[in-house]
Amino acid sequence: MRQILRITYTFLRLGALNELEYRANFFIQSFQALLGLLVSLGGLQIVFNHTADLGGWQPAELLALVGVYQIVGGLINTVINPSMQRFMEDVRKGTLDFALTKPADAQLLVSVREFRIWRVADIFLGIAVLVVALVRLGERVGWQQASLFGLALLCGAAIVYSFWLILATFSFWFVRVENILVIFQSMYQAGRWPVGIYPQWLRITLTFIVPVAFAVTVPAEGLVGRLDLPALAQALGLAAALLLVSRFFWRFGLRAYSGASA
Amino acid sequence: MRAIYQAFYRTSLAVQMQYRVAAIIWLLGTVLQPVIFLVVWSTVARAEGGSVGGYTVAGFAAYYITMMVVDHLTFDWHMWEYDYRVREGLLSPLLLKPVHPIHGDIADNLAYKSLTMLVVIPAAILLTLFFRPSFEAPLWAVLAFVPAIILAFLLRFLSAWTLAMASFWTTRIQALNQTFFVAELFFAGQIAPLDLLPAPLQLVANLLPFRWGLAYPVELFLGRLTPREAITGLAAQLIWLAITLVILRLVWRAGLRRYSAFGA
Amino acid sequence: MTEPAVHLDNLAKVYRVYEREAGLGAAVRSLVRRKSHDVRAVDGISFDVAPGEIVGFLGPNGAGKTTTLKMLSGLLHPTSGEVCVLGYEPYRRQREFLRNIALVMGQRNQLLWDIPAVDSFELNRVIYRLSRQQYQEMLDELVALLELEELIYKPVRNLSLGERMKCEIAGALLHRPRVLFLDEPTIGLDVTMQRRIRRFVGEYNRRYEATVLLTSHYMADVVALCERVVVIHHGRLLFDGALDALVERFAAHKTIVVDLPDGVRNGRAFAAYGEVLEERPGQVTLRVPKANAARVTGQLLADIDVLDLTIQDPPIEEVIETVFTQPDS
Repeated sequence: MRQILRITYTFLRLGALNELEYRANFFIQSFQALLGLLVSLGGLQIVFNHTADLGGWQPAELLALVGVYQIVGGLINTVINPSMQRFMEDVRKGTLDFALTKPADAQLLVSVREFRIWRVADIFLGIAVLVVALVRLGERVGWQQASLFGLALLCGAAIVYSFWLILATFSFWFVRVENILVIFQSMYQAGRWPVGIYPQWLRITLTFIVPVAFAVTVPAEGLVGRLDLPALAQALGLAAALLLVSRFFWRFGLRAYSGASA
Repeated sequence: MRAIYQAFYRTSLAVQMQYRVAAIIWLLGTVLQPVIFLVVWSTVARAEGGSVGGYTVAGFAAYYITMMVVDHLTFDWHMWEYDYRVREGLLSPLLLKPVHPIHGDIADNLAYKSLTMLVVIPAAILLTLFFRPSFEAPLWAVLAFVPAIILAFLLRFLSAWTLAMASFWTTRIQALNQTFFVAELFFAGQIAPLDLLPAPLQLVANLLPFRWGLAYPVELFLGRLTPREAITGLAAQLIWLAITLVILRLVWRAGLRRYSAFGA
Repeated sequence: MTEPAVHLDNLAKVYRVYEREAGLGAAVRSLVRRKSHDVRAVDGISFDVAPGEIVGFLGPNGAGKTTTLKMLSGLLHPTSGEVCVLGYEPYRRQREFLRNIALVMGQRNQLLWDIPAVDSFELNRVIYRLSRQQYQEMLDELVALLELEELIYKPVRNLSLGERMKCEIAGALLHRPRVLFLDEPTIGLDVTMQRRIRRFVGEYNRRYEATVLLTSHYMADVVALCERVVVIHHGRLLFDGALDALVERFAAHKTIVVDLPDGVRNGRAFAAYGEVLEERPGQVTLRVPKANAARVTGQLLADIDVLDLTIQDPPIEEVIETVFTQPDS
């Protein structure tokens, strides 16, 4: 376990040092994060000019949702997205060998390879929004909600990570998989709003096919007290299952890859 | 010139056919975004007794389905293309040809849209079957829609092309492009029909060009404009087209000078 | 007296380069005040090229060759001086001018990547307003000369580097340009391909009396094609004339190759006669200053039982290197 932490920390530091070279990136990234937030909050404001209730969600609750959306989006774009894209590029160019010849778990190496530190601006903004939402929600959020939120967020992160890993693993066999990641980016936009308002076919897609619901809506539900235990159990179960499946699939793919490229 | 466009069109079709898988995946996003807002606003309408700001649930459906098709027919992506061209040194060969690169770019658009309409139209039909929009527009509006959408395409294309010229000055175009897209989201009637925006924002929307490239043809097609508003809109389109052309020529010349000063 | 096809007069291209030191302090300082200095990529070059000439540009990396070519083709705007190609100012990029020139850059693609070359050719046909007949004639000729038969029907991305280069050249010449700028056209190609392209350029020049300006790292390109060489270094013109004259003027040494009969021991200290470049059983190669060549030859013939003796000019690469390592004055 310590090894895992140490490796993660090393890559994080390297990535950070690398990015610090481009100081201007910080301002640009913060600006872009603000733009993204503007869209979310602007949309929210316009909607609540006309109603007090969206699918059962109050303004403050939706604000919390936007906060979670920003935070999770930031997490994805800081580490998961860049590392997976880098991995797929390495497979395509044949430069994956560094991961295969190091005395550490290849999956770990590949997963923390790229760290876009300036994207933490997204996360900070998300936290800021979340704090404002929590203030507005007041006493309704106590320790129970916080722990539900934390747990659901971890599950969500695990589910998204495993989902990305499974998709990326396909690039061992199919070269043009990167396009599929675009699907995730498009569908993630739907996470700005509570998944419950969408028609059933879309809701199912956003839950089980592209796990946006588990990434954003479920943790937000946990925070604002809408999450019931069966749903949490579902999230936990799915997270565990996906972690195992993705790990297994990864090992399978890796064996195929190193066997093939003699 | 017509022969040149035909040649560009044919070549562009051939190239884009090679990327059809990526294109279809991209289209998913194009279709999804209006659907998201459609659902959001329908939910609001239902909660508020069936309609909001003059739009019923069926009205929102009509609005966003039309918006999806019009957006797709009028958008342009060359602000990314020029960044790529400048970075990869692909612009020099284009500059050596005795034809202005903008013609190839327009042909690219025509080719792309010819191909992707094969997916967008069926998608629109499917959405119509599912969301049951209501379309009731007078004939004159539907006829006026044709020149309106052509002008809208020209306006959006030329604006995007002018924006693309930023690649001559910087490689950090992402923030600039994103600002443009966000402004478009709000002021072109994508996040919400413009009638639903607070009054001050509506005023801003009327002064900016985005409305005339997107919301205006949509509203026209849906029969939501009086004949007088339709004519005002047409005038606005023409005025903004003229302004954009002037800016474009200036920026192109300045950009070219800079490109040939610094590195081809 | 015919008009030169290409005319340069004191042409210069100066870039302003901003300096940036490492460290946070310097970064902050550079926000307020930027130190800069000027790089004279091309520093006052003048020459004329007559129609139908093939001229080779020689120079190390960064000498200014590519910059000069880009100014001649209109891609770069000169900082000062005159440049005139076929009577046009290139940077004005007039249609008529562009229809009469072609620029081919080694390893750079002008053809569309995903579709067969012939489709790009067809597009060029329309852009350059060639009639179908003109186009077909020229295409047939180019296909024959460059041996392109099936290649043009394959997507460009599926071609090898050499095949791609041939197609690029064909595409650039479809409109029969009167002036052809070639920037490192054979770089990265194998020897056979290099020879083929060289032969082709020579043939094109003969058939169409096209003016050709060629830059290359490979002396073989220049030797094979160019009667006239222009040597550029640090943005300045060092030499403009025939290749032989170049060797004559800059070669400081001669190489003497002595063949010895079998059995003669090479115990002799050949170093006494000159710098020993190579010593093999039966052969010794010496380098001697040009002035001493005759005297050393005489000595060798007198002192040793020589089978054969040849006096050679040093390889051209060496000569060029000498030229380039001249101090920047």
